[in-house]
Parts: sequence; structure tokens; C-alpha cells
Amino acid sequence: MSAPTTLSPSGHRERIRIPVSGMTCAACQSRVQRALAEQPGVSDASVNLMMETAAVTYDPAVATPERLVHAIRDTGYGAELPSDELSPIEEQEARDRAQQAELLTLTRKAIASGIAVVAAWTVSMMDVGARPYVLLALAILVMAWAGRHIFLRAYAALTHHSADMNTLVAAGTGAAFVYSLVATFAPRVFTANGIAPDLYYESVIIIIALVLAGNVMEARAKRRTSGALRALVDLQPDTARVIRGDQELDVPVASVRPGDVLLVRPGERIPVDGEIVSGRSAVDESMLTGESMPVEKGTGDGVIGATINRTGAFRYRATNVGADSVLAKIIRLMRDAQSSRAPIQALADRVSSVFVPVVISLSIATFAIWFVAAHVTGGTPGTAFVRAFAVAVAVLIIACPCAMGLAVPTAVMVATGRGAEVGVLIKGGEALQRVGDVTTVVLDKTGTITEGAPAVTDIVVAPGSTRTEDDLLALAASLESQSEHPLAEAIVRRATERTLARAAVESFESVTGRGATGVAGGVALAIGNAALMSAWSVDVSPLATRASALAGDGKTAVYVAADGALAGMIAVADPIRATSRAAIERLRALGLAVVMLTGDDQRTAQSIARAAGIERVVAGVLPEGKVAEIARLQSDGAVVAMVGDGINDAPALAQADVGMAMGTGAAIATEAGDVVLMRGDLGAVAQAIELSRRTMRTMKQNLFWAFVYNVIGIPVAAGVLYPAFGLLLTPVIASAAMAFSSFSVVTNSLRLKRAHLS
Amino acid sequence: MTSLDWIVIAAALAAIAIVNWYFFIAGRRRT
Repeated sequence: MSAPTTLSPSGHRERIRIPVSGMTCAACQSRVQRALAEQPGVSDASVNLMMETAAVTYDPAVATPERLVHAIRDTGYGAELPSDELSPIEEQEARDRAQQAELLTLTRKAIASGIAVVAAWTVSMMDVGARPYVLLALAILVMAWAGRHIFLRAYAALTHHSADMNTLVAAGTGAAFVYSLVATFAPRVFTANGIAPDLYYESVIIIIALVLAGNVMEARAKRRTSGALRALVDLQPDTARVIRGDQELDVPVASVRPGDVLLVRPGERIPVDGEIVSGRSAVDESMLTGESMPVEKGTGDGVIGATINRTGAFRYRATNVGADSVLAKIIRLMRDAQSSRAPIQALADRVSSVFVPVVISLSIATFAIWFVAAHVTGGTPGTAFVRAFAVAVAVLIIACPCAMGLAVPTAVMVATGRGAEVGVLIKGGEALQRVGDVTTVVLDKTGTITEGAPAVTDIVVAPGSTRTEDDLLALAASLESQSEHPLAEAIVRRATERTLARAAVESFESVTGRGATGVAGGVALAIGNAALMSAWSVDVSPLATRASALAGDGKTAVYVAADGALAGMIAVADPIRATSRAAIERLRALGLAVVMLTGDDQRTAQSIARAAGIERVVAGVLPEGKVAEIARLQSDGAVVAMVGDGINDAPALAQADVGMAMGTGAAIATEAGDVVLMRGDLGAVAQAIELSRRTMRTMKQNLFWAFVYNVIGIPVAAGVLYPAFGLLLTPVIASAAMAFSSFSVVTNSLRLKRAHLS
Repeated sequence: MTSLDWIVIAAALAAIAIVNWYFFIAGRRRT
């Protein structure tokens, strides 16, 4: 007995992304999705129209990728097994090429149909006997070659008891064609019944030409919306300069292996991720992080592939290459985000699945009503039939649900792309939608509001001392260079920045909890807190007031005593990022409550909060406490966004409604959080929220117009305005309106690309 | 209204019934 088909004994799940080709609207998408969901062993299937992929979660014990691909092909669309060897970058390049080819073919067909339209007009103006046959030939050409895919897909849909926009267009043009065919070869059938043998070949040609023009515009829009992703792919350099022995070799980037040593000259793009082994430089990481200032790098520092080396040459050892590289991870993250579905999409999906059969029913009803109305008001059966027929075809044509299918995915794509441009990676439609609902922003202190690394803020020379600030700093740095304490590191770093010469250290002793003592450059030094000074009988009273003021500002002061006398004091603090205050003001201006969470004591926390412009502070919380605090805010009804560093704050990010991970350098591709802020700047939080709110507005506008279009278009096409105003749409005008509605939805989404984010 | 009108109405109702049966009922039953 085999295992049950829906559950694997192991419960193991695998996820696969299958490229799907040939989908044109929401109905196509829901059809492929339904076909996949119906497969045994499939627990989740999400098909994305814009990305042309199906993301399927399945049980490998029951379903196989081959069967999934087969299931998609059964619905009449193309599907390929994804290639394992392709990195996200190569995969994106392949998709780009395919999209480009599709666009080219469609454009060629659309142009040919356009020429056919002009030819048909010219021919219909001529009164020659061969006219019907020339028009017939043109119609066959357009239907069988240019519009072939419409009919093939409509047929495939029909055999699966489903219908999509192709069904509507195929039914409309097919009916018009058959009618005209009978009128051409057996006009007696009509004339004997008093019906004029009218020809609709022209309408068929024009409708297909307009549908193709709509397809071309959509394909172009698709390419434009994925522009941000393509821009990222283009960042990858083609070659790398590898050091082999004592030779420099230019090799393709794909052949670089972890451990290879590479050389990068000024102005060159860094080919892969790695760690500098020799040399110094400033690296421009703006293309990945949005950070405009070049970042100083020296031996031991990590560099990211695709960033630009500005000032110096350096050698570095490759660490992550191919699919593991930061760039590949960002591309994968963004691609997954763009192919995910926003919850608001469910509405469009539900409507489009029942839409087509309802429209066909409406069209048939329209035919009957028009026929009877025209007949009982004195028309001959012939004129009644012709009029009813044209109106019914117009209803079929105008009702194409393309705009509805494009409303949400185009907005998600453009918005995630726009976000990436300013260094905000939003992981998917759902996150995008939730970010806009946020009411409270909780900020972690260290590394989020502040730089995350202590730095020297004040250097105070003791009254009466003959030393300068630099002398004091150089002296302290000489001894502290032996220490690994963060405060010591800050002092040494500042001395290095000021290029101060350090004296030789003759002895060094660390005094736990107090500081350090020793001899440097012949001077006996004690560097530490008041307790250390008192143990050394050094009087700190000349600086006591100043020390107390510094503590009130959230700074940590260390005294420096030289040869038994107080020489001065150095204050160290984790400084607030230059951008934090303005960013927090911006959040407040957006109507958000801002809360700071920190493990620091109340006094330090308060001083930082004051400086950053935050009113609500929760101090002295441990990481677990952060989770509880967020849960408390949520129980009060707040929709909480937590901004943290993505590593220490991962549990809090997960608890929050929206987790925003602030990453810099290689940490930008962090897995934690719904949103990754690639630049170390809180301004990105406000930008993410603004972007999300605007996107939601765009989606709602799109859905509104798509619905309104159908709500107005279908009755008008059916002729409800005819009795009062004599207004009726011909099938040709209906097809132009259909193309226009898709176009306007896509254009509205593209406006997000230029969204001004403060 | 002539018998032709009634025939058209009856045919239309039948066609609507077939369309809805095909897409909503037969489609569901098949799966």
C-alpha cells in the first residue's frame, strides 16, 4: 500500500521556481495556479504574472518537478525545469533575453497586423469584386500567424474547463470571422432570410491588431518594471584580475574560486566578495547600500563584489562567489519579493476566475435582448440579427480582465524596484502592504539610532597642564594600544585618525573594572575611572564638574594621569548617527509613534533619546524583554515596526508586525526582517513607510479603475445607453478601450518609479 | 413577439446554461 497522496510520511517539503511562459492576464495566472494546486503533493503554489514564474511548495515523496512542469504545459502554457547550475544573476540574464525575444516577436506581429489594418481599409474603400477575398486573406493571415497564440491559448483553456482573456477575444473574433465567411461564400443563406451579408473581416483584423498592440505595451512595461533588477545584474563585472604565482591574469568572473587572490586598481569594479590582504582604498558601495560616501577599507576589511574601488589599489582574497555572493543574494531576495503576491491581489484573483463565464453569459443575453427588441420594434429578422450580433461581440471584447490582472503585480514590482534604488529592500508584496499600516516604530538604540561603535567625543586637558589635546590623546593611545577594551579601541582609533605618533610601551597592566596602568615613552600612566585615580592618589576634583556633565550627556569619561598628576580626561560615547534626528522627526511628521528600546540604564538612555528627539524610552531591557515590550505595544492595538540590526535583534524583528533589519556592508543580505535597510541611516525607515503608503494608494487606484472600467464598459457595450442617447460601441472601439485600460493601469504603477521619497 | 423571438430567447437561455455548466460544474467535477 502506498503512502497517502497528500501527506508524506516525512512531512518533508521542497520549494521550486518554475519559469512559465505565455501568460497574459490574471485569468491565465489563476489557471496555472489552480492546475498546480490540484496536483497531488503540492501544498502551496503561487504564480506570478509579471515575473512569469510559478513558486511551488511540494512533497518530493509525492510530486516531482517534471510532473509539475507537465501540469503547467497541460494548461496550454510553456514551462521549463529550472536549471540548477544557473546563479540568480545568470538566471535573470536568461529571463531578460527571453523577455527581449518575446517583445521582439510581439512587436513584429503587431506591426504586421497594423499594416494589415491599413491594407484592409484601403481594400474596403475600393469597389472591386475581389474585395471579400482579399479581406478574407488578410484576416486569415492575421488570425493564423499574428494572433495564433490567442486562439491556441483559448483552446487550451477551453479543454480545461476554464476561460481567460484569450477566450473572450477568440470567441468575439471567431464569431465575426465565421459570420463573414458564410457571407462571403454562401451569401444566399443570409439574403434568402432578408439579412444583409455584411463582412466583419476588418473588425477581426483591427481587434487582433489592438490586442497585439496591448500585448506589446504590456511586454514593454514588464521590461521597464524589472529595470531595477536588471540594473543590479548589470553591476556584475565580467572579468577579474587574479594573481597566480607572480602573474596577473584576467579571467572570467565565473572562474574565480574562494581563496583566489585578486588585484583591484582605482576606478575598477570589485569582481567578487572578499577580504583585503594588502593595500588601502575608499570603496563606493552606493549601488548596493544607497550610502553616498565612499567607505574607507584596509587590510582585514571585507569588500563586496560589484562595488567600485575609488582611490587606492589593493589585493584581496575572494570569499563568496557565484550564488553565495552578496550581489546574488540581493538579486534573489528582490526577485522573490517581486514574484510574491500582495494580499490585496486575492480580490482580483477571485473576480477574474468567475469573470469570463459571466461575461460570455452576458454576451449571449445581450444578443437575445437586442434581437427581440429590434425585431418587435419593427426591424426585419435580418437587421435585428446583425445589430444583436455586433453588440454581443462588443461585450465579449470590452470585458477582457487584463487591467485587473496587472493592477497589483505591476505596483509591487515598481515599488520594490524603487525601494532598492534608495537602499530599501522590501521582501515581497505582503511586507509592502503591512509596512503602510504601521502606527508605531520601535527603534533599537545601539547601531540603529547610534553608530554602534564607541568613538572619542571630548578631550579635556586638565587645568594647569602644559600638554595639548593631541599630546594627551597620543599618550593615552600609546598605553591603550595594548588593551582590547572597546573604550581603548575608540581612543586608539581616534589617535590613528589624527595620525599621532605613539610612544613605545615599556610596561602594561590591565586593572579589571577600572582601567589600565603602565609606562609608555618614559611616562608612568594610569588611564581609567575615578576609582583607579583614587587608588593612585590622583586628585580628580579639577575635572569633577565636567565629568558629571559628560555623564549626563550619556558619555563615558576616562581620566588620564601622567607621572602621578591628573593630565586630563577623554570622553567616549556611541555617537548618534548624523541622520537620526532628522529621520525621527520625519517619522513623527508621518503620524507615527516612535519608541526607543535599549539595554542601557535610564540616564544614558534618556540623554540619547533627548538628543535624537525621542519622547518614549524603554531602558534596561534585555533581548527577551524587547520581544515582550513589542508584544505589549501590539496588545494595545499598535501595528509595530521594529528597526534593529538583524542579528542581535532577530527575535524582536520576528515579533513585530514588520521587522526592519538595518544592515551595512556584507550584512545587507541578512535573512532577518521583512524589510532590509541597506544604508546605515534611519531615514530609510521613513522612506519605506512612505513608499508603502503610496504603493497601496496606487494599487487601490488601479483596482478601482479596472473594476470601474468593466462596470461601465460592459453595460455601455451591451447598449444600456442606446435607448436614451443612441450610444453604442462597435467591436473595434471596444477593443481599443480594452487596450487603453491595461495601458493606464501599467502607467499608473510606473508613476511609483518617480515617487519622491524624503 | 413572434415564435422566432421565443426561439431566440430559449436558445440564449440554453446557451447560458451550457456555458455555466461547462465552466463551473463540469470543470469542478473533473477535478
